[in-house]
Amino acid sequence: MNEARQKFSLEFMRIVVVIVLALLLGFVITAMVSSDPVDAYRELLTGPLPKITINDNGDWQLRGINRFGNWLEDSITLTLLGLSIAIVFKARQFSLGAEGQLTLGALGAGIVSLYIPAPFVIHIGLALLVAGFFGYIWGLIPGALKAYLNADEIVSTLMLNIIAIQLYQFILTRYLKDPTAGYVGTEFFPESAILPVVIPGTRVTIALFIAIIAIVAVWFLMSRTPLGYEIRMLGANRRFAEYGGINAKRVIALSMGLSGILAGLAGAHLSMGLLKQLTLTLSPNIGFEGIVVAMLARNDPKFVPVAALFYGYLRTGAQIMERSSDVTREMVLVIQAIIILFITAERIVPLVQGWWLHRQSPEAILDSAEAKG
Amino acid sequence: MPQLVDMRNIIKVYPNGVVANRDVNFSVERGEIHALVGENGAGKSTLMKIVYGLEQPTSGSIIFNGRPVKLQSPHQAIDFGIGMVHQNFMLIPSFTIAQNIVLGHEPVKGRLLDTKAAIRITEQLAQEYGLDVDPTAKVEATPVGMRQRVEILKTLYRGADLLILDEPTAVLTPQETDDLFDAVRRLVAQGKTVIFITHKLIEVKEISDRVTVMRHGEVTGRVQTAEVSEEDIARMMVGRDVLFRIEKPRQQRGEVVVQVKGLSYVSPTGRPLLRDVSFQIHRGEILGIAGVEGNGQTQLAEVLSGLQPPTTGEATIGGQSVLGRGPRHVRQAGVAHIPEDRLTNGVALEADIADNLVVDRYYRSPFARRGAMSLRQVRRHAEQLMQKFDIRAAGAEALMGSLSGGNMQKVIIAREFSADPVLLIAAQPTRGVDIGASEFVRRQLVEERNKGKAVLLISADLAELLTLADRIAVLYKGEIVALFRSRPDLSEEELGLYMLGLKRQLPEQRE
Repeated sequence: MNEARQKFSLEFMRIVVVIVLALLLGFVITAMVSSDPVDAYRELLTGPLPKITINDNGDWQLRGINRFGNWLEDSITLTLLGLSIAIVFKARQFSLGAEGQLTLGALGAGIVSLYIPAPFVIHIGLALLVAGFFGYIWGLIPGALKAYLNADEIVSTLMLNIIAIQLYQFILTRYLKDPTAGYVGTEFFPESAILPVVIPGTRVTIALFIAIIAIVAVWFLMSRTPLGYEIRMLGANRRFAEYGGINAKRVIALSMGLSGILAGLAGAHLSMGLLKQLTLTLSPNIGFEGIVVAMLARNDPKFVPVAALFYGYLRTGAQIMERSSDVTREMVLVIQAIIILFITAERIVPLVQGWWLHRQSPEAILDSAEAKG
Repeated sequence: MPQLVDMRNIIKVYPNGVVANRDVNFSVERGEIHALVGENGAGKSTLMKIVYGLEQPTSGSIIFNGRPVKLQSPHQAIDFGIGMVHQNFMLIPSFTIAQNIVLGHEPVKGRLLDTKAAIRITEQLAQEYGLDVDPTAKVEATPVGMRQRVEILKTLYRGADLLILDEPTAVLTPQETDDLFDAVRRLVAQGKTVIFITHKLIEVKEISDRVTVMRHGEVTGRVQTAEVSEEDIARMMVGRDVLFRIEKPRQQRGEVVVQVKGLSYVSPTGRPLLRDVSFQIHRGEILGIAGVEGNGQTQLAEVLSGLQPPTTGEATIGGQSVLGRGPRHVRQAGVAHIPEDRLTNGVALEADIADNLVVDRYYRSPFARRGAMSLRQVRRHAEQLMQKFDIRAAGAEALMGSLSGGNMQKVIIAREFSADPVLLIAAQPTRGVDIGASEFVRRQLVEERNKGKAVLLISADLAELLTLADRIAVLYKGEIVALFRSRPDLSEEELGLYMLGLKRQLPEQRE
């Protein structure tokens, strides 16, 4: 228990140190490209927070609630995608397929929303179910290909992304498009299929609760079920898992299928919560952001929401900086990438520790090593 | 005599906080054979890595040939004349022996390798030091003993005066071990110095002039070999008296429970690795499998545990056919398996001890009920086994990778023995295991036998087979060439003849 707490505080320290270093570096770069770096950087760092202003009469007003909403909306998507990738990574597989699974999830949700009339709660439930199912199938396919035919999952998931996106756009333009609209997109979904908003003034919907349930479900799956045990052992050492009698092929296929469910739900969040219709592009390349979130969270479902909120904050802040300063979109992305790069560089802290160790006397080294272990 | 190497106050702390060497003083005199012994995790490998430049000490100094040196890489160590022969050979299998020996310092003619010169160099070296090798043979086609001689010649070619041999006899037959010892004595006669890492005490007595004993990262003894007994050295290693004799009561052999019939296995590349293997094991019997490494032992264990389907043949446990449906089916039929390659197959280093202990039973009650696993049960199970098998660790949640080799071994043994098997397959169960833990494993195997289990003991250690097994089969090129009832007059040398393929029994001679 003590060891766990020590590990946790060590990990926490690591993250704080690295974030501070990364933000400093980000500022240096901003200073190089901006005429007013302090202001630009403040937008990045504080942009997503709502601002309280107090007028002369002493009344206070909350502003920027929509920016705050953007942050949470994005974090919900990132949480679902991060959980999706965390499962795959835990099984020590790889997947770039979230984009395709998410697209088909949105498609499934859209079809149910538009063409299967049902009363309010049931309509949403059914649409979510179909979104999850489509994602499941689109994850199971590369999983089974990997498990039984040894098809590389990096290639297969990328190819399946292309198929899914083209299929989506084909069905959308050919069958689902609203002929009266001046753009490629469906009609807006009926009220019964739109996720109800929980924070007024934003698009933060009950998807928030779906994400929370998903966190608990994935945590339970991974740490409290036989299948979760199988996934963990497969990831820790496949030969050991097989030696113990675990059917590794089945577990590989299932882990990728389960991962697809979460990406499919992220698609439902995008279509039924944010867009309220299907459009030609949903949210390009968001599928890959789950990888960053999973890595930041060290594949631990408990940490996924924290990582998603952090990364969502950074993404939203970057958008605001882009809109309201002279820093170009490209530079914003560079700064964002450098921060992430820094945080995922595992060796930074041990490097510092090693340097510290070598400066000390032999007695001190033995003492500190003894105290530790 | 002058000191060749003198290591003073060596402290080595790894970045993860493990203290491998605490204030170690170690010196070797020129021209001696110095044995370095200690249990796994005692710090002897780290110490040797420091001499060889693979690791840098956290503090302390090394004096080589009277001068203080800092060794930053094996390259530098080689320049100083320090050579190391690793336990796992670092040779290129598809190259010839001569090519392997000159690798890195090739004689050239124009810009090409001078093959003839390489062969000549090899022949000269081989003759000078009496290490017989065939320069033109490819390494992959040569026996283990010769590969080891190649490794030694390689370091000599690079000008080594000090040779570090890391557990050189672990992979050799008795005959090959004798050859190696002769070669080592010749090397020393020609002015070389040898550090011999081992944990076989009989070898320490036979070959070394002096011994340094390590335990828990410290030196616990530095003695003239002639002045101490094996028991003395063992006590310094383990920190208590060690029983060398294992009590083995008369066999109460029961009915046949394991029937293996006509088992063959052909590798995916088409090499037949098991040929028509048949045997029976009774309740309360240990059947030993002897053989030079690579004669089908690994495949026999893998096929019988369900990891590989046999090409032909079958095995029954208590009359029930078990093969061809995967490891879980085999385990459910009552087979437990201590695998040969324990770090790759027997444990998951990144998982905790509790998880490692349930890999064959996590899906059953009491660990899983109505689809949910009980962490409490998993932990309780781990705590019980840790106590019963004396597994030393911070707790059930400690990561497997943080344990010492001996304790990892105990985790595997605890899991497999507690499965209450009908047949226990133990593949090289004491390889790489220190004395204290070996003694424990051997006693446990005999105890299982006394309880009426069938045990299949695959071991390269003939002394171990002769002590433990009730019957011994010899595997040569995937075939059983002899089957003996264990008896006092059966010698290692006799078994060696069958292991090398020089003799074979007629079917009716099998016992």
